[in-house]
Amino acid sequence: MIEENLIKIWVQSIKNINLYIKKGPVIIFGLMFPFFMALSWVLGRNILINQIFIGITAMTAFFTATAISPVVLPIETREKSLERILSAPLSLNQILIGILIASSLYSMIITSLIAGIFIIIFPSLLNSLIYVFIFWLGILLMSILGSLLGLLVSAHPTDQTSDVMLMMNLIKFPLLFISGIFIPLDLLPLSAIILAFFSPLSFLTDLFRYCVNGHSFFPYQLDILILIIWIVVLFLINAYIHSKTMPKRFGESRSMPMKKNQMQGMQK
Amino acid sequence: MNKNIAINVLNLTKKFGDFTAVNDVSFKILEGEIVGILGPNGAGKTTTLRLLTGVYKLEERGKVEIFNEDLNNNLIICKKKFGIVPEISNVYSDYTVLQNITFSGKMYGLSKKEIEIRSNDLLKRFELINKKNSKTKTLSKGLKQRLNLCLALLHEPPILILDEPTSGLDPFSVKIMRDQILEFRNENKTILITTHDMKEAQTICDRILIMNKGKIIADANPEVLRKKFRSLSIIKFNAEKAFESNFAKVFHDLIIKPDGSYNFSSENVLKDLTDLYTFTSQNQIKVSDVKIQETSLEEVFIDLIKKDSIKEDFKND
Repeated sequence: MIEENLIKIWVQSIKNINLYIKKGPVIIFGLMFPFFMALSWVLGRNILINQIFIGITAMTAFFTATAISPVVLPIETREKSLERILSAPLSLNQILIGILIASSLYSMIITSLIAGIFIIIFPSLLNSLIYVFIFWLGILLMSILGSLLGLLVSAHPTDQTSDVMLMMNLIKFPLLFISGIFIPLDLLPLSAIILAFFSPLSFLTDLFRYCVNGHSFFPYQLDILILIIWIVVLFLINAYIHSKTMPKRFGESRSMPMKKNQMQGMQK
Repeated sequence: MNKNIAINVLNLTKKFGDFTAVNDVSFKILEGEIVGILGPNGAGKTTTLRLLTGVYKLEERGKVEIFNEDLNNNLIICKKKFGIVPEISNVYSDYTVLQNITFSGKMYGLSKKEIEIRSNDLLKRFELINKKNSKTKTLSKGLKQRLNLCLALLHEPPILILDEPTSGLDPFSVKIMRDQILEFRNENKTILITTHDMKEAQTICDRILIMNKGKIIADANPEVLRKKFRSLSIIKFNAEKAFESNFAKVFHDLIIKPDGSYNFSSENVLKDLTDLYTFTSQNQIKVSDVKIQETSLEEVFIDLIKKDSIKEDFKND
């Protein structure tokens, strides 16, 4: 039974990757956006390679993780395939985990690739295997966390990806700017540090800083713990909110009673 | 032979805010029975199907049993007993026919070997074998609906739920679909079908449920329904000269058609025909082309919905 359920989740994840990886919003918001953002941040500035590495990897993890998960449900609502999945012998949580795995895998592969290229060119960025492991753990946690955030935004029962992506950007950019991606936390004023606590990206970049620079604002264990807490809380919120909004995806308006003029038309 | 109850629905209710889409609906469907749900748009047919198939959660009052298994407590087991053909195709348009079948098979816990054998059989049966590597977005509506049938049958469910399966199909595809449905009867499949097509319901279904405003307002065999709810027949005839003023005293709802022919409704055809001949021979009026037209299911349906809506309007006033 457990094996059968795991297979169902895995098959769904593969389907989500196969079908949605090439969708416009995924390419634009998952790849092009972070690329051009990183470019505009780096070009013409005198920024240390360590900071570029941390910033670009964190941005890639965050943007790619929030690319697939928000679009799956709106597209499947529009194409009606969501109803097929919901009437199949699957639980709602299995459907959500299928999206989560697809989105996290996409993010982990792309971010690991970017990080790998940096490390090949600048091998001194991560100088011990422990740091490599913790760094990769950070990528893994952010991939899951970002995917959960995207999934949460897609709980809004719309069938338009543009609605969800607009909302996603309204959340993503404040989280990005209040985090320590562009300026390290220890260089920020106190008010900005307090604000940074509200962005999970702050803890990711702090964790990356520990791996790259050997020191961080918070103990690295605390960074990991906070990212895990974010994941658990977001998962629980997702499970609850999706169970409430899922039925609304199937057009209540289509179930409205027949209007009087329709009835009169029938009588004629 | 006593048949098992395939679907047992008790007090099914679904509300969307203040609006009650399905209102205290109860019915039973026996194994091997073909039951049609008829009703105007917004009657609650699709919502009922969504409640049965677990797309919507059941509200506290409602209870559904699928072959004696409680839907709420055994949702996954119950879902495996359904094969669903939707009104609008809901296959993955960027997947090929075979990819859709493989995906669906895995969702229902079938092994690779089972999927291979069954998909081959089904693709041949529904003449889709040449299209197995085509993306479904390139298929016509009729072919997509055949693929939906393949997907519904892949895990060999005992119950088929068909939501307006012939809606918008060309006559050839409609025929294939209807023939298939009748073939399923030989396979002892229980079928619940929603349709707007009265002819279809009359030919295919063993029983018909008529829904209006979330309620079942009639539940009977199509023939019984016709006889029980409107036992009127229409008598049509031609007459050589106008005589309606006298005749109308005898037959109150005499209508003169634009082509000059007459018709009136009759609850007792034999008696009314005798009266007609007596009256015309007494008045030396020659009648010809006498025809008796039976009430169709469509007329019963419209009649029932009209009466139910008038009743509701009175209640609201």
